[in-house]
Amino acid sequence: MKLLKPFIGRYKLDLTVAILMVAIASVAMLLQPTLLSNIVQAITDDNMEKVNKIGAQLLVLAVIGLAAGILNTIFAARASQGISADVRESAYRKIQTFSFSNIEKFSVGNLVVRLTNDVTQIQNVLMLVLQPLMRMPILFIGGFILAVRSIPQLWWIIILMVILVGGISYFVVKNLGKRFGKIQWLMDKVNAKAKENLQGMRVVKSFNQEANEEERFTNVSNELRDVNIQIGYFFAMIMPAFMFVGQGLMVVAIYTVGNMVNTQPELLAQITGFTNYIMIIMNAIIVGGMMMSFATRAFVSMGRIQSIMDTKPTFTYDNENEQDLDGRVEFDDVSFTYQDDDQPTLKHITFKTEPGEMIGIVGATGSGKSTLAQLIPRIYDPSAGTVKVGGVDLKHVNEHSLRETVSFVLQKATLFSGTIADNLRQGMETAQLPDMKRAANIAQAAEFVEQYDDQYEHAVEERSANFSGGQKQRLSIARGVIGQPKILILDDSTSALDARSEKLVKQALDEELSDTTTFIIAEKVSSVINADNILVLDNGEMVAYGPHSELMQTSPVYQEIYATQKAKEAKNNEE
Amino acid sequence: MKNNVKESAKFFAHYLKHFKVALFFILVLTILATWLQVKAPVYMGRSITELSKYLMTYLNPVTKSQASLSDFHQALLLFGLFTLMILISLFLNGLLQAIVAPKSVNDMRTGLFAKLQRMTIRYFDNHQDGEILSRFTSDLDNIFNAMNNALFQILQQVVMFIGVIWMMFNESPKMAMATMATTPLVIIVGIVIMIQAKKYVDIQQAEVGHLNGYINEQINGEKVIITNGLQEDSINGFVEHNEKVRRAMVRSQAWSGVLNPIMQGLGLFNLAIVIFFGAKLALTGDVASRAAGLGLIVTFVSFSQQYFQPISQITSLYNMMQQAMTGVHRLNVIFDQDEEDKHEDGAQFDGVKNNIKLQDVHFGYNEEREIIHGIDIDVEKGEMVALVGPTGSGKTTVMNLLNRFYDVTSGAVLFDDVDVRDMNIKSLRDNVGIVLQESVLFTGTVRDNIVFGKTDATDEEVIDAAKQANIHDFIMTLENGYETEVSDENSVFSTGQKQLLSIARTILTQPDLLILDEATSNVDTVTEEKIQRAMDNVIAGRTSFVIAHRLKTILNADKIVVLKDGRIIEQGNHETLLAQNGFYAELYKNQMVFD
Repeated sequence: MKLLKPFIGRYKLDLTVAILMVAIASVAMLLQPTLLSNIVQAITDDNMEKVNKIGAQLLVLAVIGLAAGILNTIFAARASQGISADVRESAYRKIQTFSFSNIEKFSVGNLVVRLTNDVTQIQNVLMLVLQPLMRMPILFIGGFILAVRSIPQLWWIIILMVILVGGISYFVVKNLGKRFGKIQWLMDKVNAKAKENLQGMRVVKSFNQEANEEERFTNVSNELRDVNIQIGYFFAMIMPAFMFVGQGLMVVAIYTVGNMVNTQPELLAQITGFTNYIMIIMNAIIVGGMMMSFATRAFVSMGRIQSIMDTKPTFTYDNENEQDLDGRVEFDDVSFTYQDDDQPTLKHITFKTEPGEMIGIVGATGSGKSTLAQLIPRIYDPSAGTVKVGGVDLKHVNEHSLRETVSFVLQKATLFSGTIADNLRQGMETAQLPDMKRAANIAQAAEFVEQYDDQYEHAVEERSANFSGGQKQRLSIARGVIGQPKILILDDSTSALDARSEKLVKQALDEELSDTTTFIIAEKVSSVINADNILVLDNGEMVAYGPHSELMQTSPVYQEIYATQKAKEAKNNEE
Repeated sequence: MKNNVKESAKFFAHYLKHFKVALFFILVLTILATWLQVKAPVYMGRSITELSKYLMTYLNPVTKSQASLSDFHQALLLFGLFTLMILISLFLNGLLQAIVAPKSVNDMRTGLFAKLQRMTIRYFDNHQDGEILSRFTSDLDNIFNAMNNALFQILQQVVMFIGVIWMMFNESPKMAMATMATTPLVIIVGIVIMIQAKKYVDIQQAEVGHLNGYINEQINGEKVIITNGLQEDSINGFVEHNEKVRRAMVRSQAWSGVLNPIMQGLGLFNLAIVIFFGAKLALTGDVASRAAGLGLIVTFVSFSQQYFQPISQITSLYNMMQQAMTGVHRLNVIFDQDEEDKHEDGAQFDGVKNNIKLQDVHFGYNEEREIIHGIDIDVEKGEMVALVGPTGSGKTTVMNLLNRFYDVTSGAVLFDDVDVRDMNIKSLRDNVGIVLQESVLFTGTVRDNIVFGKTDATDEEVIDAAKQANIHDFIMTLENGYETEVSDENSVFSTGQKQLLSIARTILTQPDLLILDEATSNVDTVTEEKIQRAMDNVIAGRTSFVIAHRLKTILNADKIVVLKDGRIIEQGNHETLLAQNGFYAELYKNQMVFD
């Protein structure tokens, strides 16, 4: 509830109207049996005047009930959709304040589920609360009052019914909850089995395992069927059980009235009304119980959204003054351990670059290259030591200044749906066509972009499905260089490019961004052989730092990497 | 729409045919229960009438002594008995109904899965897993809901509807007509609302889809957003989508929600018509006696309520049925797909005797675009061939043709001069082992995963295969050893170890011909070395095709086939190819052979 509180205020009017209308509709529903038995009485009494009068009342009641029902639906929809849209928006805003490690902690998929499924749960329940659930207490209390008023002597029947129906409902909700939980679990199992089968279809087929897979799937599926049948049996009992209570008590009520009618003949006329109200009360309890069990699911969802709202970003920025940062990067005894890891990924890294230098970072997979690079744009903060950009410790950097200065091109090229221009403008808000052309030329993207009729306005589809891996990388590099950053980091960003394009990109970077400090992370030593300095990582430690020629003399690790990658002939070629 | 109904009717008829007997009894019990339910109030009414008779007798001093409650008690007892019979018939009916939906949906589910096993790889390559999986989740779910909640509900309401109409006409055709007069209007109103609701529900679904897509894309690209400082832009885009969703949701919920109050209002309105018309009928003396006319109105007041219930109930089930019909259509799309021809009477293949040949093989995944333009490869028994070339050169495609995931467009793949298309596919695949680039684990134990292709393997064989694949030692470090539970998503195995496990899986089946797609994914040096040795073990002594990414594999190959743009441009061993100083030499220098 804490989650919804801030938003309820904005929809006070909608909520009030919705609740008011529910009350009116419920009262109209409660009055209906009385009017009906009155009209039947009037007909038997042959009182046409009264029949017309009550008939008209019945029509008015129908119109009021109809109008109230429609208005309730509309305002309940407005309120519940409004509140849940606001909840979703505020959760999304919160996520955008997160540091990357917050997002990793939740995992991307998990956050998406919370923003979609969980919010949908909340919104369904809100709608439920504003419609049937609100109606139930009114019907229950109203029905109770009217029933007691009609035959006060039978108060005990109503109490007995509340106890019995309440008891059955409790039993049902408790037992069904358990079974529904099992259904959910089995459904997940069925889906997981189907999913892994699809993923491994080639393996299944090449091992001729179709029949065995079918058997495994059928086993799980049969389990699901059996629990579904159990639930079906359960439901087969529930309705008769409720009817047993309702109708049985009706018989008891009529029987009791039969014994009292000698002394209180007026009771006879009330019996039909009384039984009608008993039915209304019973329905109120049953439907109310079912709704409550739905509502409990929403509490789980609310908790999951609340935990997003309660999460504090791992770090925040001092966003007071813009800073003028140059292209220097300095690591001073930097160590870094990922959350949930025991072992540090980076250990005591110290180095310093001058503006305009090109630094190659090499090392085996898992040696910490990407991690090191991600500390420069402050995707993470180091666990120990300091990282400085332009002489400023990143813990005190102005966020906007840092983004202006450092541009990071990810290993996995990520484009957003929209147009090519939209994506390029992400690297430079004010970019005009000449800027885009220049960036695309550096990234060797112009050659395919400019072949489209709509050039830079060409659409990028969802998951950038209309581009090849190499094209995605080139556009991603273009986005990285368009803002003419003082520091550019290419995290293995040319892996999907052919050798020729890769070479051209490197050349263009040299010529066009000569004042930019460039970090190039590469699997292949040959990609960084011309760098001013090469930083060699081994198992999180910096084992060498210097130009190629120097490292070839001094660093055994570098020599080994070089040797394994380039066979002897290539080496001969080089010399 | 009409086709949809026809398609669904056929579909359900197929799955319900096993339940003929149960369905017959369900129908009988439904008719019985409905009849009892309509009749029971009559006995309640009679008991009250008897009570009032008793009261009149009792209150009259003359007859007071004769007053007896026994008639009242008898009527009440009958009401009680009727109620009891209703309960029993409802309960029995419920038990019978409980089986139908779970069983028939289970038949659909397992049938769908079995169908998938028989389909061609082509289908899976061209369709996203999620799209196929949604058949298991949302479509079967919608069908289950409809069968569970709508099927018998509709049956019951239809029986009730017919029963009430029959009884109404028995009582008074004129009054019956009056009661039914507004029905066409009500149905039209109901359908108009449902169509509007459907329209807005569709818009809502589309908008929700866009929003979910947006959230997914943005949060997946969060690193780009953070490093470019795009948080505000991202929020603005979100707000735009979110607002669209909100608007669409309000409309769709309002339209679907108003059906119920409108139906209830119309029901009351209809009741008023019945009362006024009946009163007019009674007053104008059209009916034999005025008293009987008044009695008729009372009867029709309850008929009118019973008559209206099925109409509003069935209309409110419209959405559910609509969704189920969509589900049926989407399932049928799968059921109508081509199946793999297993060629069961084809030639049995029991291993390579002499050689394997690819003769002038042309192939394209679709007709418009050929991607392999006539390649010839000859491999002698026991040789190892390395396929190298840039991405998209057709290496993987060659593998797809060897164990008939796909068939050549022209030319032929020959095993000992027998075309693979003439072979029994099972025998072919029994003898062709593959190790994929991306290893897959199945839910189950480690042992289950190794014996995947040979379920009757002994423990010795399993351990031996694991040892050859260099994964035995690691398995033994696990608390439950070979009985450790694993799954693809939640696994104790790293990418490299998964690959070792899938090598063990292949070794166990002792394939005669091996197709191996080396993983490009980077693993640590220790595992790398283990994989290398495991590969050597599995390749040793076998005829094998390796899509090679490792230098050592290439150097060891008896033959290197260099593919580029679907053509073989060079063929030979490492030394001769290097000496040619052609494309391979260039690739090698730029280390692109590792691509």
